[in-house]
Amino acid sequence: MAKLVGIFAASHGPIIAREWETMARDHRDKLTAAFDEIGRRLRACRPDLLVVVSPDHWVNFFINNLPAICIGIGDEHDGPPEPFMKKVYPHQVLKGHAAFGRHLLQTALDNDFDPTLSHRLTLDHGTCIPLWRAGVDPELPLVPILVNDLEAPMPSIRRCLAWGRLLRRAIESYPEPLRIAVLGTGGLSHSIGETTMGWIDETFDHACIDAFARGEERQLDAFLTEQLERTGNGAHEIRDWVIAHAAAGSTGFELIDYFPSPATLVGAGFASWKAPAA
Amino acid sequence: MTDYWLSKLFFDLQHDAQLVTDYRADMAAVMERYRIKPEVRRALMDDDVAALSPLVNAYLLRFYFQVRGMPQDEFMARLHAMNPPHPAPAAKVGHG
Repeated sequence: MAKLVGIFAASHGPIIAREWETMARDHRDKLTAAFDEIGRRLRACRPDLLVVVSPDHWVNFFINNLPAICIGIGDEHDGPPEPFMKKVYPHQVLKGHAAFGRHLLQTALDNDFDPTLSHRLTLDHGTCIPLWRAGVDPELPLVPILVNDLEAPMPSIRRCLAWGRLLRRAIESYPEPLRIAVLGTGGLSHSIGETTMGWIDETFDHACIDAFARGEERQLDAFLTEQLERTGNGAHEIRDWVIAHAAAGSTGFELIDYFPSPATLVGAGFASWKAPAA
Repeated sequence: MTDYWLSKLFFDLQHDAQLVTDYRADMAAVMERYRIKPEVRRALMDDDVAALSPLVNAYLLRFYFQVRGMPQDEFMARLHAMNPPHPAPAAKVGHG
């Protein structure tokens, strides 16, 4: 049977790619150290495939057809389309893992979840910045899960917790002896294209980190359901952390680093969860 | 309230480099391909961030004004001018 061998989360933001070379050295060093630690831990758990939980930044979907959750079940996916990403992460094609993708999809349907599916997704900066900066092997097969974190109404936190538990069930019921890791991307607080753009809500971010550290799902649900309506729109990406959190069994959270990153407009957060015992 | 055709224009600009070229050359002609309402058309011609902001997703709005060549600081200043910066100014940090 497959095993969940690592659970991680990391922020992203287009400015990380667009302005990497011109960013202040000390700030770039902090981002580098955090992403490097994610990469080190990810490599140490020797995954055979990586499930990446990420938003879609209007690349695959539009408001005429906008799924709450989409699972990528193809053998391949397209690399990032953004010109600034192509310069730093020039992978036109990324490997998928169709068999596990289909298993995850079937497990979801069998458990009364109704995701949409894609045989070929385009993986934008939300997925690819953490892969690039953490030095993830571009040959590592990916199973993307794209979550609507951008356009209301979005999946509830309660549902994201359920999705995380479902993901764990799918991993542990997959018959091949694969080592599978999970990476949630996005968050923490940021505000994009709205009247508070540039605001990094450190109060929210620290409370959010505390809620993950305490682990308790009902408290996390109550906190995020209330507070996400009061902070910047980018914080909705925390849903991807929530899915990772529940996949980990809502326990074992470890903060790798957090710092406000005004240069990239995000509250930069990096974390891992303790993998379940064998 | 979401304006579908404005959103569609912004979405298409994100996906179609030729459309960006066409739009930069002749905004009005490209708008003709979409069902852009007259008041929205005026807001587009005027680069009126405040008028367009309630009509589209915030990420699409940001992308659109990048296409328009508006510097980020100016875009943010126009957004901030619409409202007090946020409900808890003491917690605010600078932005790049």
